[in-house]
Amino acid sequence: MDNDRESISLFQRLQNRLYAIPAVAQWWAGRFARSTRHSSPTDPVPFSRLAKPLAESSVAIITTGGVHLQGQPPFDMRDPDGDASLRTIPGDVPASELMITHDYYNHTSADRDMNVIFPLDHFRDLAQRGIVGSLAPRHFGLMGHIEGAHLVRLQEETAPKIAATLRADGVDIAFLTPA
Amino acid sequence: MGLIAREVEAAGIPTVVISLAKEITESVGVPRSLFVKWPLGHPLGEAMMPTQQRTLIFDALVHLQTASEPGIVAEPGYRWRRHVYAEPDWAQLQQIDG
Repeated sequence: MDNDRESISLFQRLQNRLYAIPAVAQWWAGRFARSTRHSSPTDPVPFSRLAKPLAESSVAIITTGGVHLQGQPPFDMRDPDGDASLRTIPGDVPASELMITHDYYNHTSADRDMNVIFPLDHFRDLAQRGIVGSLAPRHFGLMGHIEGAHLVRLQEETAPKIAATLRADGVDIAFLTPA
Repeated sequence: MGLIAREVEAAGIPTVVISLAKEITESVGVPRSLFVKWPLGHPLGEAMMPTQQRTLIFDALVHLQTASEPGIVAEPGYRWRRHVYAEPDWAQLQQIDG
């Protein structure tokens, strides 16, 4: 079966509609937070301060909303534990070359306007106006529905790779958006 | 997403996360986040509403610059489709630097 949007079941669509109601989403978030299906690190929350003025800082965007380039392989929607792989998105791509593969939320708004979830246009504009220093050369799309063995891969492989790339690119700020 | 923010922050790069699920964000322990009680799939708001989207970016950048300790979840309290947005005063961000 294809990964295209037609493959989303009616049940999944209905569920996505329900979770689009803020109160339902918060109820789900509470249940999920109390479950053992996600990782709650016990070590202290890390903290780094901005080392230079905002107007000199390079900004990278990271989203777990399933954003990728049209030419890149879509995220794997057949594995119930999700897909912990990474899509690198160059900072100079037009929004029209981006798309979303993610069956676990209703992304019709982001399909119409990518800035709802992946605000490349806004940060490009802020960089041009000198409010931030620059847009990073590489940004990242992931798929947020990650559980089980894939959660280990996310923590041990994908997330460190993102951090290393951002450091190599001299990025000063990471801006993250969920699905 | 919180796990990625932690990893990036631990590498020395400050992060700010938009959260649509407060209890998950609190449970994971995210360095800096801005929570809005909005529908999933809309971290910066509605399609074709650039002023609303920029307001969230502005608030996130203020939080990035001003949060004094890890784990603070900022809550601007914008009500979904009930708040009227004005263009942020971007010059304020430069003043925080000062």
